[in-house]
Amino acid sequence: MRLLSTSQISKHIGHRKIVNDVSLTINAGEVVAIFGPNGAGKTTLIKILATLLRPTSGRIHIEDIDVIADYAKVRHLMGVVIHEHLAYPEFTPFENLRFFGQMYGVENLDARCKTLLGEVGLSRFIHEPLHIFSRGMTQRFMIAKALLHDPLILLLDEPFSGLDTSARQFVMDRIAQEQEKGKAILITTHNTELGYHIGTRFHFMIDGTLEASTDKDDISEETLLQKYQDRLIDTGTN
Amino acid sequence: MKALRQIAALTRKDFKLQFRSKETLVLIFVFSILVVLIFAFAYGQVFPTETSDRGKLVASVLWATFVFAGIITLNRSFALERTHGALHGIRLTGVDASNVYLSKVISNVVLLMSLEVIITPITLQFFDLFHAVTLGRLLTLFGILSIGTIGFCAVGVLLAAMSTTTSGGESLLSVILLPLVVPIIMSGAKCTVSILTTGAMEETYWLTMLIVSSLVFFASAYLLADVVIEQ
Repeated sequence: MRLLSTSQISKHIGHRKIVNDVSLTINAGEVVAIFGPNGAGKTTLIKILATLLRPTSGRIHIEDIDVIADYAKVRHLMGVVIHEHLAYPEFTPFENLRFFGQMYGVENLDARCKTLLGEVGLSRFIHEPLHIFSRGMTQRFMIAKALLHDPLILLLDEPFSGLDTSARQFVMDRIAQEQEKGKAILITTHNTELGYHIGTRFHFMIDGTLEASTDKDDISEETLLQKYQDRLIDTGTN
Repeated sequence: MKALRQIAALTRKDFKLQFRSKETLVLIFVFSILVVLIFAFAYGQVFPTETSDRGKLVASVLWATFVFAGIITLNRSFALERTHGALHGIRLTGVDASNVYLSKVISNVVLLMSLEVIITPITLQFFDLFHAVTLGRLLTLFGILSIGTIGFCAVGVLLAAMSTTTSGGESLLSVILLPLVVPIIMSGAKCTVSILTTGAMEETYWLTMLIVSSLVFFASAYLLADVVIEQ
């Protein structure tokens, strides 16, 4: 079942095309990984899909809802991890989750917050303010926040950045669990190895343009890595 | 009901943030005291002897203090939301932007009114007017200040939401807000003068202007909130 689809979305800032005619589909139970170097437009694409940025042109649909026209109707369907906290550093993770849970209208909120914080390994830091957290701990919190309202779609921008080995494994396991639940997951990363392990379909994004996808069954990890490096050399971005 | 619950949660969050960091609270309190002191010292040599003249002076000191303290509060209030993308986090929950706007107006109005309750008696005392003001006059004065504060925050929150997205937004807010709120400051100051010099509202014209301009600002800003916060 198709959960998210975009049709020729572009984002121009001044004369520069940050995202260029991107058409993308993500089905339920699928993990789509987008690989691209810094500045390829991955974060902008995630922000557009998350309704935080309006595209210059193009259409986005979640289920059958026009996202650009009815953004308020779809926001609760998405869980988002981007480079910003999307939370209050002065608050503890529990206070943050509790506040955002109230906004989402999550039931049994206190129990849900405690369970999530336990799952992401932050139980010991439940009463510490977020601003003292390391990058990895913040990333764990962000993942808990993205899962708080049990969304249908997960948009994860560089979910492995700043994580140690165990935290990376945790994120990969968690993504796999959410995939099994039938969620549509989009991740952006420049780590082809991790992306290959959790992804079911892959795209390259170079200079704002999303290239044709490849299914995991059709490509080995080595070939994917080789293809990616060749593309970077072709475009002079390596 | 859902909207009310969200507004209550957003407002509670604002107070919690303000009281936890205490930055804004300390800043606006110290700033207001300093402004009052500077005026008191500046007029020390030529201090008006007539109570009515001192009333005029106090009215201008009070409004100047609250307007500039208000600008600090408004700037800080949105800076906290923008620094780590918390406002994006709120937007992603699907909360109506007008609920975010209303909660910001409520928290800023309450914060400024608390400041007014503390600073007004101090100012009256500094300008040797405290003994001349009855409790009734003081309450009427707070009523006038409240109406002005609501109008000021109504438009101020909207402009702060816009200005904090730009570089140099803090100074930009003063530049775009002050000309807009001239009707509120002018009518509010005139009403304050009237209360402090005669003990009553001599001309209802200024009171009407204060109420109408505050209402018009509030209604227009509420209607524009969705566009401004979403952009």
